[in-house]
Amino acid sequence: MSVLPLTVAVLVTGGVYLMCQPSLIRIIFGITLLSHGANLILLAAGVTAWRGEPLTGRGDPADAADPLPMAFVLTAIVITLAVTVFMLALARIGHDDDTHHMPDTGEDHRA
Amino acid sequence: MTLMWLLALLALVPVAVVPLTSVLGRRTGWPVAALFLALAAAMVPAARTVLDGDVVTQSVAWLPALDVNLTLRLDGLGLIFVMIALVIGAAVFAYSAAYLPEGRELGFYLWMTAFAFGMVGLVLADDLVLLFLCWELTSLASFLLIARSGSGGQAASVRTLFMTFIGGITLLIAVALTIVATGTTSLSEALGSTVWDDRPGITAVIAALVAIAGFTKAAQFPFHPWLPDAMAAATPVSAYLHAAAVVKAGIYLMLRFAEAFSDVGVWNAMLISVGLFTAAMGALFAFQQTDLKRLMAYSTVSQLGLITAAIGVGTPKALTAAVIHTIAHALFKSGLFMMVGVVDHAAGTRDTRRLPALRKVMPWSFATMVVGTAAMAGLPPLLGFVSKETILASMLEAPGPAWVGPVALAAAGMGAVLTFAYSAKIVFGSFVDGEREIGDSHGPSAALFIPAALPIWAGLPLAFALGVVDVPVSRAVEAMSGVASYPLHLWHGITPELLVTAAVVAVGALAMTQRKALYRRLERGLLPGTGAEALEYLFGRAGRLGRSLAQMVAYDHPARHVVPALIVLSVLLGAGTIGVLAGGDVPAAQPGLWQPVDWGLLALITLGVIGTSLADSRIAATVYLGGVGIAVTVQLFSLGAPDVGLTQLMVEVLTVLVIMLVLRQLPARIGHPYRTHRRAALTLALTLGAGAAAATWLLTGRRGKSDPAEFYLAEGTEVTGGDNLVNVILVEFRALDTLGELAVLGLAGVAIIAVLRTVRTRTLDPPNRVEVAQLRPQGRLTDPQAELALSDPQSNLLPMQLLLRVLVPALLVLSAVIFWRGHNAPGGGFIAALVASAAVALVYLSRPEDRAVGPRALHVGLIGGGVLIALVTGLIGYADSSFLQPLHGYLGGIHVSTSLLFDVGVYAAVLGLVMAAFDRLGTDRPDDVPAEPAREDA
Repeated sequence: MSVLPLTVAVLVTGGVYLMCQPSLIRIIFGITLLSHGANLILLAAGVTAWRGEPLTGRGDPADAADPLPMAFVLTAIVITLAVTVFMLALARIGHDDDTHHMPDTGEDHRA
Repeated sequence: MTLMWLLALLALVPVAVVPLTSVLGRRTGWPVAALFLALAAAMVPAARTVLDGDVVTQSVAWLPALDVNLTLRLDGLGLIFVMIALVIGAAVFAYSAAYLPEGRELGFYLWMTAFAFGMVGLVLADDLVLLFLCWELTSLASFLLIARSGSGGQAASVRTLFMTFIGGITLLIAVALTIVATGTTSLSEALGSTVWDDRPGITAVIAALVAIAGFTKAAQFPFHPWLPDAMAAATPVSAYLHAAAVVKAGIYLMLRFAEAFSDVGVWNAMLISVGLFTAAMGALFAFQQTDLKRLMAYSTVSQLGLITAAIGVGTPKALTAAVIHTIAHALFKSGLFMMVGVVDHAAGTRDTRRLPALRKVMPWSFATMVVGTAAMAGLPPLLGFVSKETILASMLEAPGPAWVGPVALAAAGMGAVLTFAYSAKIVFGSFVDGEREIGDSHGPSAALFIPAALPIWAGLPLAFALGVVDVPVSRAVEAMSGVASYPLHLWHGITPELLVTAAVVAVGALAMTQRKALYRRLERGLLPGTGAEALEYLFGRAGRLGRSLAQMVAYDHPARHVVPALIVLSVLLGAGTIGVLAGGDVPAAQPGLWQPVDWGLLALITLGVIGTSLADSRIAATVYLGGVGIAVTVQLFSLGAPDVGLTQLMVEVLTVLVIMLVLRQLPARIGHPYRTHRRAALTLALTLGAGAAAATWLLTGRRGKSDPAEFYLAEGTEVTGGDNLVNVILVEFRALDTLGELAVLGLAGVAIIAVLRTVRTRTLDPPNRVEVAQLRPQGRLTDPQAELALSDPQSNLLPMQLLLRVLVPALLVLSAVIFWRGHNAPGGGFIAALVASAAVALVYLSRPEDRAVGPRALHVGLIGGGVLIALVTGLIGYADSSFLQPLHGYLGGIHVSTSLLFDVGVYAAVLGLVMAAFDRLGTDRPDDVPAEPAREDA
């Protein structure tokens, strides 16, 4: 039995719940939680039985973790930062971040 | 000069005009004109070869896997069109230098030179794919040239693009079918193929598609409306477009394919009927116009109709006529257009009803206009006369039943009468008639007049020295039909076409004596609407249809977009898990997948997630979210991923800071949705959580180390010289991924700037900003220290500012060290940039007022510069083998590689994004562009 699936479950549950809310800030927080979950799934794919740092010349190579998922996750984290900051910029527009009640902007945003 | 060099130099001209225009302004036209003439002169040796009956070809492998080559081929037909594009181009550019308003005019020169490049590429292309690409390049260039001409040009440019893209699509289909049918992408081989004789069915389809493509560009009915529309563009654009470029591209295409289709019935029928109808219709519409430019546009439609009909006839005589009329038209039409510009400049209008009788102030312009319009009307002794006579004569050779020839001649004759009439109207309207006082009208400057007049006067000696054009025309016709051309003469004796011309002149002259009455009758709409209106109506209907379709899926509330996708995902996860389990044969899990610390972290994360989800205060939710982030960071460290953990830690800190900047502008509390809504959301969330857990449990941890992992662990250091395998994967093995990520970062930064700059200045801007006073806690503060902290931020921040004097240099040194050691130990560009970002954030926080760190140009510069450095590093890789291939070397005994440079790009882009975010979200400074009104309102 491994613990990571449970951690993933908690993060995904929280993320999806928040993404279905009307407040844009909550949606952003939901995406952040969801990306934490996705990152852990990626690392789990590298098999968590080996947890040595993948640095040549340090520790036992037989115990070293898979570096490839780590590179993916590192990229994913920075992209999450970019997406989060962009969505925060969207949340700043307007008087409220409520996505159910749009302020009247004078333009036809309902397609 | 080889063809490849010609094309390469022409491709460099648009690049060169960028700096040139900032130095010379509108006078850039002079060097460009000189260059075009020099290029035309440099083509003389190649032209000699062609005139001696040879063909010049040159080929470079381009996409060998698809058998697509960069093959250029110069034969008689190509030579004529190249020379038209270069020589007329030179005249137009010289004219532009005097015609355009003072200023940089970069867009004009950029797209006009790109236009010339596309046109020359099109006529030189001997590869079907290359031909198509150049065809589309001319479409795009004309679109951009029309679009840059102000508000009137935008709708017109879209209509032009729409029309010419219809032709683009039919040409694409025709090219694809031709490649499939003939089995080659070479244009000359395909045209010479026996397929055209063996398979009449597919031949007819391709012929029709090519004809439609030609019609759209050459403005033939029913695609003609875009050409009068394109009048919105500046006069030099029109002169080039009508005489040498886009519309001539359509003519060139039809001439080029005439080799294969001249005896295909569909081709003959389409070209002759559409061509003659367009010729008569265009001439009638031209006569109706009062705006000289629009008149000229319809005249081009009409003249091209004649050429199209002649191509459709397809006999050597008819093809000779088409080629010679193309030359004659290029000369007189480019000149006439520029003369209209001269008249416009002098009188301030180009409306025949308002123009004064200019002949007294502009005698030379008057003479030039007379010669030009005489050539257009086909009067002797001008090249236009020779070409029109030949076209009329060739109509009698039209294939099909015996009645076709005389009917075609009669139709062409009708068009000719109207052509005579509108040609006369130009002269009478601008130089003879008119009651208005001449006022301050003045003669044109030589710089404006000479380039305009030259092409027109060139038609006069050419008519007497037909030998000069005889050989090139002959070679062109040989290229198309394999037979020598029909000999050209100024005087043929008394022939049917001469009688037609005589009748045309008689009827036309008679009509012009009654011109006042004719104008009254005809200078109003003959049809209920214009083509442009019809097209706008179609656009409107299509738009409404599209909107009604979009209505089905368009919601403002994001959850409605997300929920269907999430439901599908949960079904997939559930069904997949059950399917794999039911299939049996699931390998055993690796032992030791978990460690005790995981349980503790699970507990912390669970608490944090519940807190984030349930908190109804935005700040509390942020605190919980930060807690989750820290717990996840520890989890990452415990999984043996120090680089990832460090990155996560820095990202977490910066994210929370940016969130706090945004929360200042938002209400403190979050409203709660309805209970039923919450219950549904929770159900969906639990289902997906369970699905994700089941899939993770089932699909991971059940194998040994993967092959890539074994490879990186065993060979990674040897290949790259770096010990930190995660970092070398990022900057060397999978650098392309990282480059893509940088593009995302850059785009996010640009998008933030764009969104906040455009939307905030509009109605969405919060009318009442949250004042500092409102941020104060409710009620009176009992603690005098706390009161002081709020009322005097300056002294409140002193300790922090003192601390930063030490901390900022320390952080910057730390950032540099982390960057440098990244190749061998945890660190690298990402983490180093995030550390530097933290320093920036601290500097921002220590300021008593909301002020950005560094100028705005720096943020954008860092983002753009970072992506650029990474791209250039990638290109350096070509020095060895491929894109992004790292080069290794030793600098003073230390091992360095170009991947370090790539990491510098990463560093700059990340830092730029964070700085831009702090600037745009954290300051109340008014935007550097004052509130501009929405463009569509203007």
